[in-house]
Amino acid sequence: MVTVGAVRTLGKRERADKQEEASSPVGNIASSADLKPGDRVVYPKQGVYRVTGLEQKDIAGQRLEFVKMTREEDGASVLVPLGKVATIGLRRVATADDIEGVFHYLGATYGDPELDWKVRHRDNVERLIAGGVLGVAEVVKGLHSLSRLRPLPAKERELYDSSRHLLVNEIAVALGVPEVIAEDYVDFALMPPSGVKLPLKTPPIPVELKGPPWKRKKPVVAEDDDLGLAELGIDLSALEGAAEGTAGTEESEEGEAEGAAPAAEDGDEEVEVVPATVVAKAPVAKAPVVKAPVVKAPVVKAPVQKAAVPRKAPAPPAKKPAAKATPVKKPTPRPTAKPAAKPAPRSAPKKKGPPAKKPAASRPVPPKKGAKPAKGKKK
Amino acid sequence: MIRIVTLATYDEGDITHLSKTLYRSFGVGTEHVGDKALPKKAERPDGRFDAIKLLGDAPPVRAYSDDKVVYVTDKELAIPKGPLGEPPTWGYAEQGGSRALVSTFRFRPRGVTEASIEVFRRRLARESIHFIGHLWDLHHCYDARCAMHPSWSPSLPDDPEFELDAYCREKSERRVRLAKT
Repeated sequence: MVTVGAVRTLGKRERADKQEEASSPVGNIASSADLKPGDRVVYPKQGVYRVTGLEQKDIAGQRLEFVKMTREEDGASVLVPLGKVATIGLRRVATADDIEGVFHYLGATYGDPELDWKVRHRDNVERLIAGGVLGVAEVVKGLHSLSRLRPLPAKERELYDSSRHLLVNEIAVALGVPEVIAEDYVDFALMPPSGVKLPLKTPPIPVELKGPPWKRKKPVVAEDDDLGLAELGIDLSALEGAAEGTAGTEESEEGEAEGAAPAAEDGDEEVEVVPATVVAKAPVAKAPVVKAPVVKAPVVKAPVQKAAVPRKAPAPPAKKPAAKATPVKKPTPRPTAKPAAKPAPRSAPKKKGPPAKKPAASRPVPPKKGAKPAKGKKK
Repeated sequence: MIRIVTLATYDEGDITHLSKTLYRSFGVGTEHVGDKALPKKAERPDGRFDAIKLLGDAPPVRAYSDDKVVYVTDKELAIPKGPLGEPPTWGYAEQGGSRALVSTFRFRPRGVTEASIEVFRRRLARESIHFIGHLWDLHHCYDARCAMHPSWSPSLPDDPEFELDAYCREKSERRVRLAKT
């Protein structure tokens, strides 16, 4: 309980730190003193605004000063408190050089898109807020690449459309061309006509953001890999170990492997590998005990060859046959040795002593009665 | 209301087909205003017409505030060269505005067979829907079956669909509903 609370508080702190860090990448407006009437700025996730001036308002008995901005697209006006100018991520409109880099980025081949939608969504939102124009282009490019694999879900379709709108808007303002033509430029880079080779240069490196989406992303992948490999390693090695061991003692080895696995899980990968080999060697140590039954194996074949399949069945009938076991004559001497080998693996923790007595009588029974119930079960 | 203005001579059947298709796509009344003269000032030295200038100089048409006007021409259009070159253009529109321009220059020849005429009409309808979509503030769509998919895209079939996909249709309907008139 305590740890959960601690983790949550840490997460919040991290987020707060991240937001502060993310809101101040290169090109951002650090203070309201940098703004003058007539300046064009980009409000993250909103679009291009033009600063119209300062405005004072009385709110809750306090006289506050605001920067007034008007969105060029539709004329919507926004009032930003002077103290908040540095933290909302306002930045200058990208220059022509920046925009050229954006097109080279859009035209470049894109790696595999992030498939975890939660990580992808967090990253995309973060890029839109603090990634600059290249961050917006990154979102558009990433979602466009994903849309080629499969249709985007509704929420991401909205995000794709809005980020495309922001990108087109900023490019249009930066290059001084109408929006429709700016969008043509974007799509010309994203999906050039067949036969056209774009004069691409090395694309700029996107701004690396510091925050949970980025910090979480790497460790999550690493953990997944470790866990996946470890789990596979355990299973495979255990299975291999079991397979390499004696054929007649499969169950006993599996039991040991199962017992070894949890102990190995507590350790590292290397530790996990070791038990696997130990599991393979363990049967060798018990070989002397196992070898005895191996010698008896042929004996088992002698009484009932079909019993090879119902080997597992004899356990339950072993109790009832006690009374009827007496009639069996031949198997009595040999079964005593069998119980030492077979019952040990199955009920090793439960019954080690009794099997010595009962099996003597029960062994012979299973072939006769054990076969019947098996048939009944099968039917 | 959508008003179609032809800057060249077109077959009446083609324009009728276009009117019906636009009405079906946007649910807005459509009419053919008539033929108008092509503004020669928009012609560039290379013989192509500057799309932006052509639309700016196009003869005005009497229309209400929310009406959309589509000019149809058979001249080759050109747009300013971008950072990666000049994309081929089938038309031009004022994003969220009221006037659009469609060129049939890059279409397959209309021909005289029913099949070729049908292809021509479908393509005319598609490009008109595309640029009127820009007037309704739609952006390009990644779905090649949508009329808002870029006209030069390599994934676009020879005879592309002339319908909007669900997302674009919904968005355009929302815009149409918000129109004052």
